[in-house]
Amino acid sequence: MRVIATPSTCAVSSLCVYRLPTVFDQDEDGLVLILDDHPDPTLHEELHRAARACPTNSIKILDSD
Amino acid sequence: MTADVSPEVCPHAANPPRYPFAWSPPMEMPEALRDVHGSSAMEVTLPSGDTATLVTRYQDVRALFADKRLSRNIARPDCARISKDNDLFMDPHIDPDPPKHTQVRSLVTKAFTARRIESLRPYVQEVADQLLDEMAAGPRPAELNEAFAFPLPIKVICKLLGVPAEDRDQFRGYVDGFLAVTKLPPEEIGKARQNLWKYLGDLIEAKRANPADDLISEFIRVRDEDDNRMNEHELHFWCQGLLIAGYVTTASQIGTGTAVLLNRPDLVREIQADWSLVPSAVEELLRTQIMGSSVGTMRYAVEDIPLSDGSVIKKGTSVLLSEEGANCDPAVFDNPFELDIRREENHHMTFGAGIHYCVGAALARMELQIATESLLRRFPSIRLAKPANELPRALGGFMEGFTEIPVDW
Ligand code: SF4
Repeated sequence: MRVIATPSTCAVSSLCVYRLPTVFDQDEDGLVLILDDHPDPTLHEELHRAARACPTNSIKILDSD
Repeated sequence: MTADVSPEVCPHAANPPRYPFAWSPPMEMPEALRDVHGSSAMEVTLPSGDTATLVTRYQDVRALFADKRLSRNIARPDCARISKDNDLFMDPHIDPDPPKHTQVRSLVTKAFTARRIESLRPYVQEVADQLLDEMAAGPRPAELNEAFAFPLPIKVICKLLGVPAEDRDQFRGYVDGFLAVTKLPPEEIGKARQNLWKYLGDLIEAKRANPADDLISEFIRVRDEDDNRMNEHELHFWCQGLLIAGYVTTASQIGTGTAVLLNRPDLVREIQADWSLVPSAVEELLRTQIMGSSVGTMRYAVEDIPLSDGSVIKKGTSVLLSEEGANCDPAVFDNPFELDIRREENHHMTFGAGIHYCVGAALARMELQIATESLLRRFPSIRLAKPANELPRALGGFMEGFTEIPVDW
C-alpha cells in the first residue's frame, strides 16, 4: 500500500500530521510532506482515516504497489 | 436582493424559516436541524430580511466548500446580507477568492504548522494553569467566560500576533461590538468597528517602527517588501481578521462546550477516569455546538451548480453552507443528535473544508484540549451553579454562545 499527497492543494489543517506523525510532516509553509510512503500495515486503518479526514482530499492511498 | 432559486431547491419558498435556527432548549442542537436533510438545500430568511439558500447535506456542503463556482466575494450588491447594520466579512476592497486569497493564505499558514502550534503548547498550559489558580482564589461561584474561556484565547492570539497584553481589554470591547448583528444599535456597531480599525492602524505603525518576532511584524515585512502581495488595506484587514477569529471563536467554544459537558456529569466522570478521551470529546463538542451557526459561510454562486439531490443552485444565488446541517447529517453521523464523546471518526465541518479550511484549527484544538483537561483536573467536582436551561444564550451576534456560565466546585 502506497500513500501519496498533493501539497499544492493542502490547506494546512495539520490533521494528518497529528494523526500519523511518522507518515506525514509539513514543509516550511505548512504544506504536507510524506515521510514514509509505504507505511506499516498496522497503520493502514489509521491511514484511511487520515485520507478521509483531509479537508482538501489531498491524500491518496494506492492499494497496488 | 433575493437569490434566483429554482423551485426545487426551496421547498419552504412560501415562508422561509428564520435563520440562524433557534437553540431551544438552550443546551440542545436546534430542533429545526432534524428536518433539513430531506433535500440538499432550503431557503431561509436572514436577520436582514434577505433570503438565502442553505445547503444542508454533508456531501453537498463538503463539496461546495471546495467549489470554485461559489465565490466568497459577497460584497456584490445583489448578494444577500446577514444583517442590514453590519457588513462584516463584506469589504469591497478585499478579494477573498483565489488567486489573491492563495497569496495571503500562504503567508499565514507558516505560522500555523503543527510544529509552530506545538511550540506554543507550554505557553497555553501555563496561561490555563494561571487563570485556574486565579479562579480558585476568587469568589464562588465563578463566571467561566470571564475567568477562563475568554482570557485564555485572547492571551494566546495576542502572543502570536504580537498585540501588547495591556491592550487586551480595550480591543476586546471593540471586537464584541464589531460582532454584533442585532444586539447593538447600528451606530454603536459602527463606532466599535472604527475604533478597532484605528487601534490596529496604530499598532501596525508601532510595529513597523519596532518589528518583533510575531505574525503582524511578519505581515508588515512582506507587505513592505512587495507591494503586489498585499496592500496596506489588506494588511490591516487580515490582521483584524486573525485577531477576531483567533479569539472569539475559541473563547465561545471553550465556554459553550464546557457548559454542555458540565450538564452531563456522567461524561465528565468518564473523561476524568480516562484523560485520553479529551481529544474526541473536544471534537464532539465542536461538532454539536456551532455557536455562530453558518452565518459566516455566505457564498455567491457565479455559475449554476447541481446538488446531490438533482436540484440546481442557480447562478446569482446567495448560498450559506450549513456546517451544523452537515454535522448532524444522519447519512454520515450515527445518532447525530447524541453527544458521543467516543465518536471515532468525527470529520465535522465546523472548521470548513477545502482551501478555506480554518487556518487556526490546529491552534483552536490545542487550546480546547488544554482548557478542557486543565479545568476538569484542577476542579474535579466542578459543576454548573445554575440549571442548564437558565443559562442565557448570546443571541443577535455572530457568535451565539452562552453569555454567562456560573460554575462551582
Ligand atoms: S490533512 Fe490534508 S489539508 Fe490537512 S495538512 Fe494533511 S494534506 Fe494538508
